[in-house]
Amino acid sequence: MYVGVDVGGTFTDIAINFGDGENVKFYKLPSSPKSPENAIVLGLTEIFKSYNILPEKIVRMSHGTTVGTNALIEKKSGKVALVTTKGFRDLLELGRQTRPTVYDMHKDHPTPIVDRALRFEINQRTLSDGKTKSKLKEEEIKKLAKKIKKLPIDCVVICYLHSYAFPSDEEKTAKILKTLLPEKVKVLTSSSVYPEFREYERFSTAVLNGALITILSSYLDRLSSKVSEMGIFSDVKICQSSGGLMSSSMAKKFPVRASLSGPAAGVQGAINRSVTAGFNNIITLDVGGTSADVALILDGKPMEVNERLLAGYPIRIPALDVNAVGAGGGSIAWVDKDGLLKVGPQSAGAEPGPACYGKGGKSATVTDANVFLGRLNNRALLEGRMPIKESLARQAIGSLAKQINLSKEETAIGIIKVACSTMVKAIRSISVERGYDPREFVLFVYGGAGALHAIEVAKELGIKQIVIPPSPGILCAEGAMNSFLTNEFVQTVFTKLDEEGISKIRSFREILKLKIQKWFSEEEIRKKSQEENWFIGARYFGQNYELNLPINFRQNDKELIIKLKSEFQKAHESNYGFASDSEPIQIVNILVKGIGKLDRPKLPLEKNGKKNKPENHRITFFEKDKSFKTPVYKRNQLVRGQTIRGPAIIEQMDSTAIIFSKDIGKIDNWGNLIISTKG
Amino acid sequence: MTISPIDAELLRNAMSSIVDEMFISLMKSSYSTNIKERKDHSTALFDRNGRVVVQGESMPLHLASMLGLVEIVLEKYGEKNINPGDVFLSNDPYVGKGSHLPDVAMAAPIFFDNQLLLFVCNIAHHADIGGMSPGSMAGGMTEIYQEGLRIPPIRLFKSGKLMEDVMDMILLNVRVPEERRGDYNAQIASNKLGIKRCLDLIEKWGPKNIDEGCDVIIKSVAKRTRKSVSNLPDGTYTFEDIVDDDGLSRKNIVLNVSITVKKDQIKFDFSGTDPQVEGNNNVTMAGLQACCLYCIKVLLDPDCPQNHGMLDPISIIAPEGTIVNAAFPSASAARAQTGQRIVDVIFGALASACPENIIAAGNGANTSAAFFGKSKQGKYYVYLETLGGGAGGRSYKDGSDGIQIHMTNTSNLPIEALESEYPLMIERYEFVKDSGGAGKYRGGLGIRRDYRPIKHDTTFSGQGERFVNKPWGIFGGNYGGTGNFSIIQKNGKKVRISNKPSALKIGPNSVISVVTAGAGGYGNPKNRTKKQIKDDFRSEKFSKAFLLKNYPQSKKIKLEEN
Repeated sequence: MYVGVDVGGTFTDIAINFGDGENVKFYKLPSSPKSPENAIVLGLTEIFKSYNILPEKIVRMSHGTTVGTNALIEKKSGKVALVTTKGFRDLLELGRQTRPTVYDMHKDHPTPIVDRALRFEINQRTLSDGKTKSKLKEEEIKKLAKKIKKLPIDCVVICYLHSYAFPSDEEKTAKILKTLLPEKVKVLTSSSVYPEFREYERFSTAVLNGALITILSSYLDRLSSKVSEMGIFSDVKICQSSGGLMSSSMAKKFPVRASLSGPAAGVQGAINRSVTAGFNNIITLDVGGTSADVALILDGKPMEVNERLLAGYPIRIPALDVNAVGAGGGSIAWVDKDGLLKVGPQSAGAEPGPACYGKGGKSATVTDANVFLGRLNNRALLEGRMPIKESLARQAIGSLAKQINLSKEETAIGIIKVACSTMVKAIRSISVERGYDPREFVLFVYGGAGALHAIEVAKELGIKQIVIPPSPGILCAEGAMNSFLTNEFVQTVFTKLDEEGISKIRSFREILKLKIQKWFSEEEIRKKSQEENWFIGARYFGQNYELNLPINFRQNDKELIIKLKSEFQKAHESNYGFASDSEPIQIVNILVKGIGKLDRPKLPLEKNGKKNKPENHRITFFEKDKSFKTPVYKRNQLVRGQTIRGPAIIEQMDSTAIIFSKDIGKIDNWGNLIISTKG
Repeated sequence: MTISPIDAELLRNAMSSIVDEMFISLMKSSYSTNIKERKDHSTALFDRNGRVVVQGESMPLHLASMLGLVEIVLEKYGEKNINPGDVFLSNDPYVGKGSHLPDVAMAAPIFFDNQLLLFVCNIAHHADIGGMSPGSMAGGMTEIYQEGLRIPPIRLFKSGKLMEDVMDMILLNVRVPEERRGDYNAQIASNKLGIKRCLDLIEKWGPKNIDEGCDVIIKSVAKRTRKSVSNLPDGTYTFEDIVDDDGLSRKNIVLNVSITVKKDQIKFDFSGTDPQVEGNNNVTMAGLQACCLYCIKVLLDPDCPQNHGMLDPISIIAPEGTIVNAAFPSASAARAQTGQRIVDVIFGALASACPENIIAAGNGANTSAAFFGKSKQGKYYVYLETLGGGAGGRSYKDGSDGIQIHMTNTSNLPIEALESEYPLMIERYEFVKDSGGAGKYRGGLGIRRDYRPIKHDTTFSGQGERFVNKPWGIFGGNYGGTGNFSIIQKNGKKVRISNKPSALKIGPNSVISVVTAGAGGYGNPKNRTKKQIKDDFRSEKFSKAFLLKNYPQSKKIKLEEN
């Protein structure tokens, strides 16, 4: 049996796959933000009891957590001191010297993670070719250790220039500090966190990692002990921002890698489901309360980036390319200074929430528009647990309608259209703007509010097919169960793409090879489950960005050069619209992505059975002047192969799907609802 | 259909998605690093009357340069002589409403059912446009003819056919013509893409609704901007400030503005400003307009979409022949230097009209350092960068330290990248202690960056501003520190050099030290809290002596060393 756990700000979701190809169970309960492990334990206990599950049967528990991200946002992360090259104390604060937004003088970058008074300079300088300009002196470090000892510090991070290639000074400094500082003070180097050139991004990643180390370690220790008390003996695997998993001991060393794991786990779940169902090119749309996250998957592989922002700080980590915009169920509709109707990015959140929740919210939200139009249940949501007051939705829509002098129906339809147009724009920016035609993709929607808006978004983009998984609200927990262990090792090497360069690359490959082998053995990954994918980062000389190219070391040098050159030209052409035969190519780094394959539980097949009739009917508006008495189905009563012709509404615990007239929905073998639109 | 506030928002959203796609397409397929890395380009859609309907997020100096081209094309050719497949081109500040020669603007009409309906337009900073020196940006020139090729509004394509003679002539006049051809092709492709997407949009909405929609979108911004202006108290606001020099013959050049707000109208009058200069820091009308629009946007409504409507309440009076409305044939490549200072005078004037939003003067400069040389391996290199400085104190918080302000927002090159590619070493990159003017909310600190050539001689050229005339504080705030260029000799002696040095030889035993200006403070220093003063000291951004001198209350505070 496999367990997936996703802890969000509001809910903790648990998924259990029995591994028998038949049973997956889900459980949703309120999160316990102060000690997130409490909700997990409570949820697991409940679900074990309900289905008579023996804890020792659990072979794997995968967990996505935002503990680190929340600590940063709430400014409760650990206290970090920085040790850096003389002359560069302010580098962390100068960043790239740009302001975050061009036209807003009041918006600032977040204050640096390390206080200026805690940034210490050391008279040390290595040049780009590894030569020493100023020699590191042991005495100076010892003196500094005495000073740091007196300060309330959780972690010391050592960041020297050019350490990506020449880490010895950082390592030497770390060694001395470790022997002189108390054991509870962690010491780490920028080159051990992410040994890649570009000092600001490397330093920033390293200090964030340092700031999260204490908090994530203590959380994972608490969780592990509670979980093993329950009788679960498997290691807890932690989701990374790349969608892969890591062991909890890795997570304690590299907490920064877990920081954006939530959306990544969702994308992982989407890939697993859609590939099983036979779709390899998909665009994912995850609509929650405040935002919509979109990602593009080509041939079953998600697009990746290696730089993201975490609470406003840049971090270099392997991550999925997920684009988020401020449009969700709770997004507030308002009239801008110019009189145009806007939706979001402000959200009513969970408190007070949309007007129709009756908790004091006055502003009309996307949810209120959906309730008013009869698309969402006008009595209660969450299987009756959340009562809905339709009259309050009507009131909120009414007062907005008055402001723009339109009918209530027109206003409510407009709110949804404007919200959808924001989602469409987000999808265009990850598809059309990168050379992909959305019409060649299917739209995979999840999150509480995804299925309500799927058809309108798809039609705007010319997408013909929509996939809605059986439980759209807990896809992140499901996705966590279906990932592999992954790790990435990188080494910066500046060299020309020629025979000399290739031999350099081969020698660095040996170093990385040792690192990845060490990781395989630490994670107890058997030989046949090991996979290595090697890449080089290359660019034309003088450029500021690089492209990753796969590299096959079995080829001889000559073949390799020809192959890499042509691969690079091809990649450059497709990414930047041109390529040059004559310009020399520079290799800037070598990279290996390691995968430790885990056995993955199969998705259960949907039950066969008698087709059920709609539960009831309600009046629903599809256009401002087009309403139908629309059949409402219960999702858990639909069976494999069942076809539903629009107009129709399909309700389940935490999600509602709309099918427009002329569009057709069908339940596939795995319980996904596949909607085909008629343009 | 009449366009409702919902339709207008949907149309604006769809159009801005098109403009974004054009922007990315241009960035990806161009050759010039200015475009690829620094995003020194903009894209926009215009209505058939030549008014900008939607412009993407862009460099402040492109705010107005975009506005002019289509208007002038309509004026010169007349609607009747504009045909499908035409592409127009221009860069000249005097006859083409450009702001400096390297910014090349390109516009193309969109026809639907034989009716002219829209224009697409883009503008891009080319790495070279000819003239006396590589890059077409260097100082030391006194006439626009020396700065590069002047292109009046002309057709590059006629009814879909490339005017190859024109292209040949342009390319013959620029350096590395094959790369520049790539830049022109990128601009052509970006517009083509825009046309294709717009045709789909027109198909969907119908030409009448598009036409009407454009009008609603422009009018809504006009209304919005008028409303913002009317929030300012009526009155006349004046201010004067002094530009250091033009690098050649003139020093202490006076900028003067008198701003009159009357209900929802605002008039900028620069009549008291000094004549244009021999150097290249002249601003032409398009640049001046961009500065005024920038100020309106950041002070009154940062979220306001950019279009023609913004101009509605604004009028500008600037006598021709002044440094802010330079007449032919003055040089204007470094117009950004003076542009920064135009923003300062406008801010100075409007301080009392919008005290909450105003900030004190900061690093009113686009300080640049350029190195040219031959490495020990015999390879020639040119390297240019611009540095930020202090941002002015604000009404409720301190100004930012070491950051790009106002008309520029270019990033630095990572030191590890710089040192791997060029035979230069950065010896320090840090804040300048005590350079933030005292105030209730202090000004930001300037930056110091030291460069040493490695094993060879390099040639250094620089452009500095606010190196003499200090950035002022407001409402009782003090001045911030000025910048300077200096050479640190082998014996450690520091020698200050001119503010706009040209082609100085520096050997590996010397260091070029660039210091940029800090910023002025906001409000009376005596109202700064003890905690803030303690932090100023503890962070080591300010010395004890500075704090004691500028903040009387600090005498009563125990300032402890770390």
